[in-house]
Amino acid sequence: MIYLDNGATTFPKPRAVVGAVCNTLMRFGANPGRSGHRLSIRASEILFRCREQAAEFFGLDKPENVIFTQNCTTALNTVIHGLLKKGDHVVISSLEHNAVLRPVEALKDEGISYTVAEVVEGDDEKTISNFRSALRENTALVVCTHASNVFGVKLPAERIAALCRIYNIPFCLDAAQSAGIVPISLQNSCIDYLCAPGHKGLYGPMGTGLLLINSDRIPESLIQGGTGSLSSDRRQPSILPDRYESGTPNLPGIAGLSEGIRFVRQNGAENLRARELRLISLLYEGLADISEVVLYTEPPKADSHVPVLSFNLKNRDSEEVAALLSENYDIAVRAGLHCAPLAHEHYGTEENGTVRVVASAFTNHSQIQACLSAINKISKKARK
Amino acid sequence: MNPNLILFYSMTAVLKGREALRRRGIFSRVIRTPAALRRRSCGYSLQVRTDINEALDIIHNAGVQTAGTAAADSP
Repeated sequence: MIYLDNGATTFPKPRAVVGAVCNTLMRFGANPGRSGHRLSIRASEILFRCREQAAEFFGLDKPENVIFTQNCTTALNTVIHGLLKKGDHVVISSLEHNAVLRPVEALKDEGISYTVAEVVEGDDEKTISNFRSALRENTALVVCTHASNVFGVKLPAERIAALCRIYNIPFCLDAAQSAGIVPISLQNSCIDYLCAPGHKGLYGPMGTGLLLINSDRIPESLIQGGTGSLSSDRRQPSILPDRYESGTPNLPGIAGLSEGIRFVRQNGAENLRARELRLISLLYEGLADISEVVLYTEPPKADSHVPVLSFNLKNRDSEEVAALLSENYDIAVRAGLHCAPLAHEHYGTEENGTVRVVASAFTNHSQIQACLSAINKISKKARK
Repeated sequence: MNPNLILFYSMTAVLKGREALRRRGIFSRVIRTPAALRRRSCGYSLQVRTDINEALDIIHNAGVQTAGTAAADSP
């Protein structure tokens, strides 16, 4: 199979990731932070090493402010639900995933309103101006994606964060499609909260995610329960990371995530992005030569895009094209709305969705050529 | 007996404290906190052989909060 659905989750994973998961299950399968025996302490060390890896990778000097979550969505929900109160207002972008849109929509029932700031592809000044215009006196949070999970368009996140800092408004970045691909440093950054999946650009297993807190404003925890610490206290501990990590953690997954981050650090996020962008650019150029293909964005560039590309064939349903690629050519892509109806509305593709191709560190030139050839053949059949 | 146990509020703090000491060449060991002291901490402590005040200074300078000190059998 040619796997080009890396926007949903990267596959395959580095061997070291698979090895770490297996090794942990076979050799260190104790509950971390609960018991006094050697194996439990060793398990805690695995968690701590991953916290250190993540903190170093993202330029955060406090490993305890690295919170393990189930995925990026849980991290985003923690910030959104944990910070906002009745009467607050929140600003999101026009390219948001449902991981942001649905929580803010749900909060309308609790007297919290939101405004959508339009992203203008290729015009960061206009995008920032739109965010500025969306701010209100009661704006208590700005949360936006770093890059569209459908169209690959990157937002000027640091500049939006700096704008928020001027107005003393917390800023949360959804790095679902950028973590491990776009270099992000929280050192001297105005990004207060960074939410990332462990299983996409960081190459960890599914069921892993990260919330990095770079602020003194600490959100409420979504859940309460056993942390292995201060057990006689009926209240949830306030100390990080225990405040957010009730219940048994995903130790094998986190061991794998640690190796995934190591893999990205060894290769360099910038190198990975440059290589993947070259492949996606190659695809873009090839698709642009097929008359039946509809493209929605400018040609991908390093400063304005991540290696995510959406297209359609004229008069063909996106799901149908993806099914043909799968059944006839064994190529895995994702079609439809990609859990991002807002982004599709922005580009006028909400009716039919799009076919999305996303490269990873394991995608190669011949796979992209094979994908291009398959799309060409499907489009010719459509023509007949 | 002089104090040789450093108590913490979280296991992450224990390991961060141990790492801070290790970087300064000081050996410490993670142990289960004695039952009588466990209620005011995370249940794990660092047992140190060095001067505890020196160890505390290093740990605090690394930004790690501690939950007190206590005496226990030497490692």
